[in-house]
Amino acid sequence: MAERLQALQRTMTDLLLDADGEDAFLADPAAFGAARGLEGPDQQALARFQRRLRVYRDLVQGALEDPLPDCFPHIHRILDEADAWEDCVKAFIASRAVQSPYYRDINPTFVAWLADSGWGQDRWPFLLALAHFEWVELEVLRWPETAAPSGLAGEPGPDRCAVFDGAFRNLAYGWRVQESSGDGPVPPAGPAHLVCFRDRDLDFRVLEVDPGSSAFLARCLDGAPAGEAATGAGLEPAEGLGLLARLRREGAILGFS
Amino acid sequence: MTGLSFQGVGVGLRRPHLAEVAALASSPVPFWEIAPENVVGQGGKRHRQVMAILERDPVLTHGLSMSLGGFDAWEAEALDNLRAFLKTTGSPWHSEHLCWTSHGGANTMELLPMPFTREAVNHTVDRAKRLQAELPVPFLFENVSYYAELGAAEMSEKDFLAEVLEGADCGWLLDINNVYVNSVNHGFDPKAWLEGLPLQRVRQMHIAGHWWDEEEQLIIDTHGAEVIDPVIALFEWVLPRIGRPVPVLLERDNNIPGLADLLAERARLQAVYDRALAPVLSGGSRG
Repeated sequence: MAERLQALQRTMTDLLLDADGEDAFLADPAAFGAARGLEGPDQQALARFQRRLRVYRDLVQGALEDPLPDCFPHIHRILDEADAWEDCVKAFIASRAVQSPYYRDINPTFVAWLADSGWGQDRWPFLLALAHFEWVELEVLRWPETAAPSGLAGEPGPDRCAVFDGAFRNLAYGWRVQESSGDGPVPPAGPAHLVCFRDRDLDFRVLEVDPGSSAFLARCLDGAPAGEAATGAGLEPAEGLGLLARLRREGAILGFS
Repeated sequence: MTGLSFQGVGVGLRRPHLAEVAALASSPVPFWEIAPENVVGQGGKRHRQVMAILERDPVLTHGLSMSLGGFDAWEAEALDNLRAFLKTTGSPWHSEHLCWTSHGGANTMELLPMPFTREAVNHTVDRAKRLQAELPVPFLFENVSYYAELGAAEMSEKDFLAEVLEGADCGWLLDINNVYVNSVNHGFDPKAWLEGLPLQRVRQMHIAGHWWDEEEQLIIDTHGAEVIDPVIALFEWVLPRIGRPVPVLLERDNNIPGLADLLAERARLQAVYDRALAPVLSGGSRG
């Protein structure tokens, strides 16, 4: 089925995405095409348009990199200062992990690729945690709204289950990623229990909680009634209910069932 | 809203302008254009602003990533999202590009050139028909800028475009900037090129600025600058030859100026549009 067309698109894709695609193509475009099943006339066309086909590589590499520095400013700064940003992006693009038709999915795909590949994490062991935390802000801000089920109570109670907004995240990192800044982008080592959510003004909020509160919220997210969740997490029930009431006021919890 | 309601020069709805546009009492343009891929499945403050604008104002939809000339299957969820968005917006048609963007599952996020071959015509016609069958509104495709031929051409770009248009029986989104870009990059007369194509299939137009790459001696279709005079002249030349007041979209995707500046450029293009179509709309000869 359209084998020549497939071979042409395969050849172009390898030129655009492979880490060594540009060098191999520029070294011998005809051989580059031949290795991918193209015959004489198509090989000659590759050689004739060699320089202009290479322009597409710059465009594609640029398009796939473009959203990353804005979404991951600290990662970008750390790797850029170590002259490693370009290598990171090149490896990410060459992995062909970007498959979604949505441009916005490049950012979460980058986080997933760091998790799968482990890239750079022998030298920067905090990389995945920091990337995930940097991505969470956009994820929370853009998460689709869900309508609250009808009949929810406004106040928490020991026998009531919290109904969280879909954008709520209860996160735990081994690095204090929330302390990264423009002046000091490398996060200190140490546990960080963070809850991230969209407040009533639809702005991003992050709160640091203690490990007990984090465990309590994890149980609540699993559907446990607040009293049972507090007991399981070793938390005083009143403390748990107070946290839920605060999160309800701030928009992270839709209500209680 | 029917396609007949769409006339004049519209603007692409862009993120930096959302809050300002949402705060207006009414639309400052005849219509907006928006890429469904940038809206569907989202939430939050900006999404609410977008949806409020789309509910208030007329909108045309323009897709980016269907990879019409490619081989990758369309995701069922992506098609469901697109159909729902078309229903929500009431767009009278949906447009995509005559190109490919992904292969083997890998998305390049770039509009890549089709080989000008018989095999590629047949493949693209088949894909266009299948995509049309999936959509609740007519499907248009856009002629793209291309910087290089991919593989040995068996026909010209013009013949390739004409054969796909006729074979798929689709409407045409005529990007007049892309015609100009290609005419400079590949050395042909854009008016002769246009005269050889079925202008009766044009349902919508795009117009945009671009960037001259001195090193490569090549125009790159960046949508990152104001429309240049030769493109405006070609625009004015082709409008009466189309002979109908089709909607025209001013594209601006990079170096996005403030809303006031963008609307000022829109107004200048609207004046050209009105002047070019005046003889047609008043029943005069096209001169």
